[in-house]
Amino acid sequence: MSREITLTIDGREVTAVEGEMLHDAARKGDVEIPVFCYEPKLGDPVGACRMCLVEIEGIPKLQTSCSTPVREGMVVHTRTEQVKQAQSAVVEFLLVNHPLDCPVCDKGGECPLQDITQGWGPGKSRVIDEKRHFQKPIELSPLIAIDRERCILCYRCVRFSQEVSEDAELQLLDRGDRTFVGTFDDRPYVAPFHGNITELCPVGALTSYTYRFRARPWDIEQAGSVCTLCPSQCNVSFTVRDEKVKRVLGRDNAEVDDGWLCDRGRYGFEMFADAKRVDGPRLKGGAATDWKTAIEAAAAGLLQAGEGRVAAIVGDASNEEGHLVQRIVREALGSPHVDSRPSRGPRRETIVGLAQPNLSARVRDIDDADVILVLGTDPLHSSPILDLRIRKAIRRNGARLAIATERPTALDGGAEAIARYAPGDAHHFILELTRALGGADTVATPLAESLEGAGKVVVVWGERIGSFGATALLDLAKALKLGEADGAGLLEVPDTTNARGLREAGCLPDAGPGLARVSGGKSTEEIRAALESGELTGLLLFGVDPIRDFPDTPAWEAAITAADFVVCFSMFETATAAKADVLFPLETHAEKDGTVTHPDGRLQRVRPSASRPGDIRPNFLVLSELAADLGLTTGIDSQPTAFAALTQAVPFYGSIDDASIGGRGIRWQDTPSGSKSPEPGKAPEPGSPDTQRGALGTIAETAADPRGVASADPGSGASLALGTYRDLWAGLITELNPPLKFLAPEQRVEISLTDANRMGLKNGDAVKVAQNGSSVSATVSIKERMSDGVCFLIEGTAAGNANALLNGGPVSVEITKVEA
Amino acid sequence: MSKANGSAGGDGFDPKSAAYLDSIDVVQIQRGPEPGGVGGAYRAFGETLRGLKTTMARLIEGPLTIEYPEEKTPVYPRFRGRHKLHKFEDTGLEKCVGCSLCAAACPADCIRVVAAENIPGDRVSAGERYAAVYEINLSRCIFCGYCEIACPFDAITMGHDYEMADYDRSDLIFTKEMLLAEPIERTPLKSEGE
Repeated sequence: MSREITLTIDGREVTAVEGEMLHDAARKGDVEIPVFCYEPKLGDPVGACRMCLVEIEGIPKLQTSCSTPVREGMVVHTRTEQVKQAQSAVVEFLLVNHPLDCPVCDKGGECPLQDITQGWGPGKSRVIDEKRHFQKPIELSPLIAIDRERCILCYRCVRFSQEVSEDAELQLLDRGDRTFVGTFDDRPYVAPFHGNITELCPVGALTSYTYRFRARPWDIEQAGSVCTLCPSQCNVSFTVRDEKVKRVLGRDNAEVDDGWLCDRGRYGFEMFADAKRVDGPRLKGGAATDWKTAIEAAAAGLLQAGEGRVAAIVGDASNEEGHLVQRIVREALGSPHVDSRPSRGPRRETIVGLAQPNLSARVRDIDDADVILVLGTDPLHSSPILDLRIRKAIRRNGARLAIATERPTALDGGAEAIARYAPGDAHHFILELTRALGGADTVATPLAESLEGAGKVVVVWGERIGSFGATALLDLAKALKLGEADGAGLLEVPDTTNARGLREAGCLPDAGPGLARVSGGKSTEEIRAALESGELTGLLLFGVDPIRDFPDTPAWEAAITAADFVVCFSMFETATAAKADVLFPLETHAEKDGTVTHPDGRLQRVRPSASRPGDIRPNFLVLSELAADLGLTTGIDSQPTAFAALTQAVPFYGSIDDASIGGRGIRWQDTPSGSKSPEPGKAPEPGSPDTQRGALGTIAETAADPRGVASADPGSGASLALGTYRDLWAGLITELNPPLKFLAPEQRVEISLTDANRMGLKNGDAVKVAQNGSSVSATVSIKERMSDGVCFLIEGTAAGNANALLNGGPVSVEITKVEA
Repeated sequence: MSKANGSAGGDGFDPKSAAYLDSIDVVQIQRGPEPGGVGGAYRAFGETLRGLKTTMARLIEGPLTIEYPEEKTPVYPRFRGRHKLHKFEDTGLEKCVGCSLCAAACPADCIRVVAAENIPGDRVSAGERYAAVYEINLSRCIFCGYCEIACPFDAITMGHDYEMADYDRSDLIFTKEMLLAEPIERTPLKSEGE
């Protein structure tokens, strides 16, 4: 790609890539040059701190090594008298206004300013004048305190806000030595990624309230793991003191998270010790019991439910746990009914087709893509770290962005082409887009134009495009020739964290471990219907809360009530957990030991970092003992045995072991066993789930459906098509983490300005959103860039959960104003 | 030795001749004077009496034993005994800000500090933070005084108390309240020039 060149730094020959900055080249040659402002993750260097000055032969003045590209034959000195003098002068200058309150400063002990002062500073201060003073500490946001006296004006936080998260809220205000970091009008800096600035700050100017004065670097241990709060599966490092998580830091992995974390992952750890945590096995009514009794009761109840009459739904689980659950249901209980998706998903053949290694893109491919197509997902809400990746690709590499979604996304501002389709109509749109790419003039033509002629196209698609959408996506992939270009492909944003891992571990109604074809299984929706009709009597829920998170919550409540015997594995006391006959506790991602699979196929290891509260035991052991009580000997008594059982069952995981996963994970497509990926199947069979949706007929017919694409039926009266989305902050994350409580969303119905005017609604009006007898209360929120005739509600809110209105098909709702 | 004796009897050499002595390994034994006589008596009692002189002299001095615990050995002013935490005399605020540097310096790892933030109006220390928990496990402490040296606010000093024996190990974990409390001055200090 780039030419390698040789230069001399402090008498050492260093080989570097052309265009690389001198500082990075020096690091390769084991020469340390101190820096404050330089951070490659933030993009282009700014040379603000002047700490990295070096002497280059041929240039009379000292140069900033962070912003000087290397040149062939360059001779650099970093330890001459001139450089030393400059370095110590810079440190002295930075300390002129630094309060040196290290004993009370949270950064003390892990502070680059301390380290660099020790290493390169003058060791003595000549300053006798008074330092500048600011009021301190001030709330920059409800989560971050700012101490402006300590700030050395390195620009890192401002650059993050302006160039990485692009919220542009942080600014440097005022001039000269009175410069300070702040927001316009001192408004709180509230943005979904703003926690990263505390990690970027090279001094103690920005500190988290959640970690304020909790521990010193010598009191703590860092424990690497993987965040499983969303499908991004960012690599994190838990700061653990007294066996409890005190802080979450990023563990840079350019292949996964690019070194950033969202606030959800960063601050969502206080719930681990919440009072609502299920901290031991319980029997019906919440009576605590011992493990032996609980496992025996669960086994007896499941056996009594009858052979083939138990179903399992898996959600928040590791690959090993998913694999064990499906073994218990399939082998010990003789029942094929296992699913891991909240709503109807594509058939096995489609999943296999989409999982083909040549079609799947790596997260890193987004960086180098020519065009990124965001299809049916808003990365900010569903997989936040991808939002930053896409922004980076646009800003730094000039990638073009095309968006096709139901609801306006956070990325709309940077998009070249945007298309909106009606809620639940993704498959129509994808078919139209495929036709438009073939030259037909359709509603998707403007979007298709931006995709034409692009070399590397990365399609970031949401699982919510549905089973038809996924099938249509295969054709779109063919039309875009994704399988042929290197660096092009599909990247899924699933609904649940470990969706891909659970599918591949066998938690699908029509596929066993390794996506092997099985038959006769019921999908999530069919399980619910069968429970209500009494066809199924037992239910095993692992890390799911259908009464809150699944579409049609009232029906789920009825179904779970109707079930004779419910075994529930739950982290917290949820409405579902309250109905369980036997309730087992789940481990959090700080306690769990297991593997998860990233949507791009990367297996990553979740490692136990903190102690399990109460009487919680490793879940794979509980499952293994439950299996034993049901007469199935698994031989699993430790994580390695659980993982070995998984890799044996899934052919394309076969050559992966703990060492190859390491700390960074490994994509199964890149391993020798990756060639054993299942073959794509034949065309959908009649009667299979993909062609069952009677109301819309077959795909070919619905392509011409008058309901149309991009703009829904303008609607008459107060009836609108309902779309729902999962908000980043909806759910237990804001309810159980006290520092995040202020972010909990209130239910609001988003409508377009045209619709609002037509119905006489204003922003903030209280309304009732009703569908077929059930209704939720919400306030009106008029949104730009919304299609007319649709409205959006948030799923999973504490009050007015939109899931109550869904029924698996298209829903239209009536909005009526509630007079105060 | 047996070889030398054997050859002396067998070959008829004069065992005292120089040539013979040179030719074999000989162990010569030095003997003291023969016992008995005046010299012998002096040697038997003289040294004993000399030793007894010292004993007798100490007898006159009287007993030197310090009747601990009724009586205590005075210590030097820089003796490193049990730690003390200090407060500002004027404001009554704790000097300790909970920076944990003492814990970092402690080679025995016997100090545990958990800091917390001062609430305006109900200040505990002078800084932004204070030590919510400050514990020293005195059963582990080696009284090296590094904590005192590390402290940037002179909040912890080594006291003079060395009487810390207890029946229960857990009672040797001294909490902040115990360390802040005015210690009972049980240990006499050496006076000037002593």
